[in-house]
Amino acid sequence: MMQTLFLLTICAYSLGALGAILGGRGQLGRSLVGALAAIGATAGLLLGLTVIFTGQSFTAFVPALLPVGGGLALRLDPLGAFFLSVIGVVAIPASLYGIAYNEIYESERGSLRLLGAMFNLFLLAMSLVTLADNVFTFLLMWEGMSLTSYFLVITESDEAETIRAGNWYIAVTHVGVAFLVAAFLMLTGNASGAFSDLRVHASNLSPLARDLVFLLTLLGFGSKAGIIPLHVWLPRAHPAAPSYVSALMSGVMIKLGIYGLLRVALDFLGGGPAWWGVLVLVVGSVSAVLGVLYALMEHDLKRLLAYHSVENIGIILMGIGAGLLFHSYGSMSLAVLGLVGGLYHTLNHASFKGLLFLGAGSVLHATGTRNMEEMGGLMKRMPWTALFFLIGAAAISALPPLNGFVSEWLVFQALLKGLNIPGIEAAIAMPLAVGMLALTSGLAAACFVKAFGITFLAMPRSHEAESARESPLLMRIGMGMLAAICVVLGPGAIAVIPLLSRILVGLGGLAEVPVSLTEGVSLQVPTSSSQIALPTLALALLLAIGSIPVILKLLRVNFRLRRSESWGCGLTELTPRMEYTATAFAEPLRRVFAELYRPSKELTIDTHPESKYFVQSIAYRSEITPWFDRMLYTPLLHLIGYIANKIRRLQSGLVHLYLLYLALALMGLIFASRWIER
Amino acid sequence: MNDLLFSQLSTLVAASVLLFGILLVWRRSLLAYIKVFQWQSTMLTILFAIVAYFGNDPKLYWIGVLLFFLKVIFIPRLLQRFLVQIDVEREVAPYINTATSLVLTGVMVLLAQAMTNPLIRLITLPTRNGLPFAVALIFIGLFVIITRKKAFTQVLGFLVMENGIAMLAVLGTFGIPLIVELGVFLDLLMGFLVMQVFVYQIQGTFESIDVSKLNQLRY
Amino acid sequence: MTNMMSYGLEIGQMLLALALAPGLVGLVRWLKARLQNRLGAPPWQPYLELRKWLAKDVVMSTNASWIFQATPYIVFGSTVTVTLLVPLIATPIAFDAVGDLLVVVYLLLLGTFFLALAGLDAGTAFGGMGASREMTIAAIAEPTIALSISGLAIGSGSTNLGQILTTTLTDPAAAISPSHFLAFAALFIVVLAETGRLPIDNPATHLELTMIHEAMILEYSGRYLALIEWASWTKFLLFLSLLANLFVPWGMATLVTLPTLALATAAWIGKLILLASAIALLETRVAKLRLFRVPELLSLSFVLALLAVTSSLVLK
Repeated sequence: MMQTLFLLTICAYSLGALGAILGGRGQLGRSLVGALAAIGATAGLLLGLTVIFTGQSFTAFVPALLPVGGGLALRLDPLGAFFLSVIGVVAIPASLYGIAYNEIYESERGSLRLLGAMFNLFLLAMSLVTLADNVFTFLLMWEGMSLTSYFLVITESDEAETIRAGNWYIAVTHVGVAFLVAAFLMLTGNASGAFSDLRVHASNLSPLARDLVFLLTLLGFGSKAGIIPLHVWLPRAHPAAPSYVSALMSGVMIKLGIYGLLRVALDFLGGGPAWWGVLVLVVGSVSAVLGVLYALMEHDLKRLLAYHSVENIGIILMGIGAGLLFHSYGSMSLAVLGLVGGLYHTLNHASFKGLLFLGAGSVLHATGTRNMEEMGGLMKRMPWTALFFLIGAAAISALPPLNGFVSEWLVFQALLKGLNIPGIEAAIAMPLAVGMLALTSGLAAACFVKAFGITFLAMPRSHEAESARESPLLMRIGMGMLAAICVVLGPGAIAVIPLLSRILVGLGGLAEVPVSLTEGVSLQVPTSSSQIALPTLALALLLAIGSIPVILKLLRVNFRLRRSESWGCGLTELTPRMEYTATAFAEPLRRVFAELYRPSKELTIDTHPESKYFVQSIAYRSEITPWFDRMLYTPLLHLIGYIANKIRRLQSGLVHLYLLYLALALMGLIFASRWIER
Repeated sequence: MNDLLFSQLSTLVAASVLLFGILLVWRRSLLAYIKVFQWQSTMLTILFAIVAYFGNDPKLYWIGVLLFFLKVIFIPRLLQRFLVQIDVEREVAPYINTATSLVLTGVMVLLAQAMTNPLIRLITLPTRNGLPFAVALIFIGLFVIITRKKAFTQVLGFLVMENGIAMLAVLGTFGIPLIVELGVFLDLLMGFLVMQVFVYQIQGTFESIDVSKLNQLRY
Repeated sequence: MTNMMSYGLEIGQMLLALALAPGLVGLVRWLKARLQNRLGAPPWQPYLELRKWLAKDVVMSTNASWIFQATPYIVFGSTVTVTLLVPLIATPIAFDAVGDLLVVVYLLLLGTFFLALAGLDAGTAFGGMGASREMTIAAIAEPTIALSISGLAIGSGSTNLGQILTTTLTDPAAAISPSHFLAFAALFIVVLAETGRLPIDNPATHLELTMIHEAMILEYSGRYLALIEWASWTKFLLFLSLLANLFVPWGMATLVTLPTLALATAAWIGKLILLASAIALLETRVAKLRLFRVPELLSLSFVLALLAVTSSLVLK
C-alpha cells in the first residue's frame, strides 16, 4: 500500500516533469502537467496520512543509486509524514490553480516547458526532503529543492527585478546550505551518514560541539524558514514567482526549515540546554513582530504576504522555542503543548497563506498589478476570489472560530505556562514573548483589514481594477479547497491535534504515550484547567448571527433598504481619488513605530514663477528602508565588493599562474588535513 | 497571617512607589513631575510606617516623619519656587520617545526582577517581594537622568533614584541604622542644593536648562 | 434539571446584558451631563434611540458590498456570543468551558475587524480614517490585554474565567496583591481604549478630526445602526462587568437559587453603577488625548500589565 503510494508520487511527478518538457503547452498540455502534479501530491498526502495514522514508518533503500553518499536512503517517520502531508495540502490546490493560471505564459513571457518541469521537480524534491534518511540524500534533495525553486522564481525573467530577486534568493540559500553542510559534517563525524548513526553520534558529542551544531542548524534552516535577519530573500523572491509557486514556497517550502530544525535539534540532538529554547523563542518573537510591522508598510500585495510569512514563521518558532525550553526543564507534557502549537500553526499557515497567495494571484491575473493603490472595488467584480481572500484574511488574523486562532491559542497557552519556569532567561523572555505575540496578532488584523479593504472594497482606483473579471473555474476551485480547509481546521482542531501529539511520540525523549490535549470537544491544556470548545463556540456564533434577522423579522422591524451615494461632506460626487489609500491606512502605525521605520521624507513644492502662493504641484516621497538592509546588508555587500575587487588582482589570465594556485591550494589542503588529524 | 498581610501590604505599596516612578517617564510637564515625586514620597513614607509597624521598629517612624517633611513638603516646595524662577513648563522631546521609553522601563523592571530573583530565594524577610521594585526604581531614576534633556528633570531623576535607594534599604534590612540614613539624607540635600545652583547657573549662561546645549562649551 | 437551569441562566444573563446595556450608557451620559451642570437627556434615552433606528429605513451606499450588510449581524452576533461566555451574576456558568478570556478578546476583535472593513466599504475618507485609527488602537492595546490575562492566569493557573473567579473568591488575600491592582489599572486603560471613551476617543463627538468609532459607522443608518450601536453598548457593559467581576468578584452567586441570583444581580448592578460613575467623573475631568499620544498611554498600560505579571511571579 505505502509502496504503491510512494511509487505513484515519484512517477507522477517525474512524468509531469517529462511531459512538460515534451509538450507542456496548450490547454491539454497544461492540464496534463498540472493533473500529474496534483496526482503526485495526492499520493504524497495519502502516504503521509497513512504513516501518521498507522504510526509505522515507510522505508526504501536504493544503495545502487548514489553509492558515494551511502546510497539513496528514504524513510518516512511520522514527523516527516506530517510535513509531507502539508506539502500535499497546498500542492493539490496549487497544481489545479496553476493549470488555469499558466495561460498567461502561453504567449511569450517565460518558458512554459521549463516552468512545468521545474514545478513538478520542485514538488518531488520537497517531498523527498521529508523522506531523506541519510545526510547525502537530505542535502541533495535540499539543494534540488532550492535550485528548482530558483528557476521557478525567475520564470518572468524579462523583468530585471525578477532576476535580482533570484540572485538574492540563490545567494542567501547557499549561505544557508554552507551552514547546513558544516552542521551535518560535525554531526556525522566518522560515522556513516545514515540518520540512525547520527542519533548515536550526536549523543557522544561534547556540549560545546552540540551547541555549535545547534547554532549552525538554526542559521542554516533559519535562512530557509525566513527568520529575521536571514529573511531578506523572502519579500523579494515570493512576489516575483508565479503566484501558485509563491503559495507553495511560502506555504510549504519555508516550513521545511522548521522540519529540519526539529529533526536536528529534537530528534538528533535530543534537545539541549534551556538557552536553546530561549534563543529560538527570541528569534521567533523578533521575526514575528518585525515581519508584521514591515508587512504593514507594504502596498505590494504579494510582498505584504511575504512579510507575513516571516511573521508566521516567527509564531511557529515561538511555539517550538517554548517547547524546547520545557523540554530542557523536563516538563514533557508542556513541551508537547508548545511543539504541537508550532506544528499546528505550520499546517494552518500553509493553508491560509497558500490561499492568500492564490487569491493575490487571482487579483494579479485580473488586474495585472500587485500594487494595492490601484485596486479597489473588486468585491463586486470578483465575488468568489473576494470571499476566499476574506476567509484567509480572517484566518491569518487569528479570528475565532477559524484555524489561525486555534494555533495561536495553543502557542499563547504554552507561553503562559512558560511564565512559571524558574530560570532568569525565561523570566525575562516569556512575558515579553506574550506581549509580542499579542501585538503581532493585533497588527496582523490591522494589516489584513488594510489588505482586504483596500483591495476589494469601495470603488476601483484604476481602469484595470474597473474592468477586472472573475478568475477561471480551476483557479476558484484551488482557492475554494484551501478556504474550506481553513474553516474546517478551526473547529476540527479536536480531530487533528491528537494526531499531532502522536507525531511527537518518542522524539528526543518525549513520552511514549501521546499527551492528550483534547477532551471531548474541548482543547485542554495539560496541568491546567484552561480549555476551549471551538465546535460549540462556532455553533453558538453561527446561531447568534443567524437568529438576528429572524428575530428582527419577528419584531416587525422596518426592513426597507434604499441605495444612495455615500455622504461626501457636501460634495456632489465622490471619486476614487478621495478614497482612503493603503498608505493613509497604515499612517498612524507608521507614526507610532517611527523610531523603528525611520522613513525618509522628500517634499518638493513647485510654485508658480510669479507668486509663491500659487502652488502648481506637490510631490511627496517617503521611503522606508528596513533596518537590516540598512545596517547589515548594505555594508556587507560593500565589504564583499571591496574584497572581490582586491582578489581580482589574482586573475592574471596566465595559465601558469593558475597552475601555481592549484598546486599551492593542494599543498595547503594536505598540510591542513595532517594538522587536523594531529 | 500577620506575615502574609505584611508581605502583601509592603509589596503593594512598593509597587505603587514604582508606579509613580513610571509615571515620571510618562508625563511631560515639569509641574507634573513635582506632583509625581510628591506622591511617590508619600507612598514611601507609608511604606516606612508599614515596616515600622509590622517590624516593631519605632525609630523607623521617626525616619518616616523626617522623610515626609523633607520630601513631601520641603523639596517639592523648593522645586516649585524654582520652577517659577526658571520659567520653563515642559520637557522638550527626550532622546528616546515616550512610548519607547515606557517599553524600556518595562524591560528594566524585568531585568530588576531577574537580578534580584536569586537574592529573593535566599532571604526570608517578609518584605523581600518588594526588592525588585526598589531596584527597578533605581534603574528608572538613572534612565530619566540619561535620556532627558532638561537639567530640572535630571534633578528629579536623581531624587527618584534616591527614593529607590531608600526603599531598597527599608525593604532589604528593615532600615539601615539611623545615623547612616541621616547621612544619606544630608548627602541628598547637599547634592540637591548643589544641583540647584548648577541648574540656575546653566540657565543664566545659556538662557535654557537644556543640557544638550552644554556641548556648546567645546567651542 | 441542573442542566436546564444552567442553560436558563445563560440565556438569562444574555438577555439581562442586552437589556441593561443601553441603560448603562444612558446613565453615563446622564451623569456626565449632571457633572457638567447640564440637564442632560434621561438615562433611558438610548432605548428611545434604538426604537427610532429600528423604525427607520436603511440607506446604503452604492459603493458598498455585502460586507457592509453582513457586518452589523456579525458584530452583534459575536457580542451576543461573548455575553454567553462572561460570567455576569453567577459562577461557574455552563459556557465556561467553551471559551476562556482569550476567546472573549478575540471574539470582540472579530467584531472590530468587520467594523473596520465596513468602514472602508463605503469608500469615503471618514470611514477609512475611522477604520485605520480603530485598528491601530486595537492592535496596540492587544499586548496589554494579553499580559493582564497572563497576570490573572498565573494566580489561578488557568485562563478560564470560572477558574479565575473561583480562585479570587476563595482566597481574599489575593485581592490586595499588587498584581491584582496593577492588572486592574492596566485593564482599565485598555477598556477605555476598546470601548472608545475619553481620553482615547470621544463618544459624544462628530468632529471629524477626533472621532474614531463614530467615523467608522458614519454611513450606517436604520436597523444596521441600531444593531451596531447596541452591540457596542453591550461591549461596554461586558468590559465593565469583566473589570468588576475579575477584580471584585464578591457578591456573585455560586449557587443557582432564586434569592442568591437576585442578590447577585443587585450586587452586579451596583458594581456597574459605581464603575459607570467613575467613568463619568473621569470623562468630565480629562481632555481627549491627541491621537499620537494614545500609544504612550497604551504603552503605560503595557508597563503596568508587565509589572502585574512580574509581581505575581515574585509572589509565587
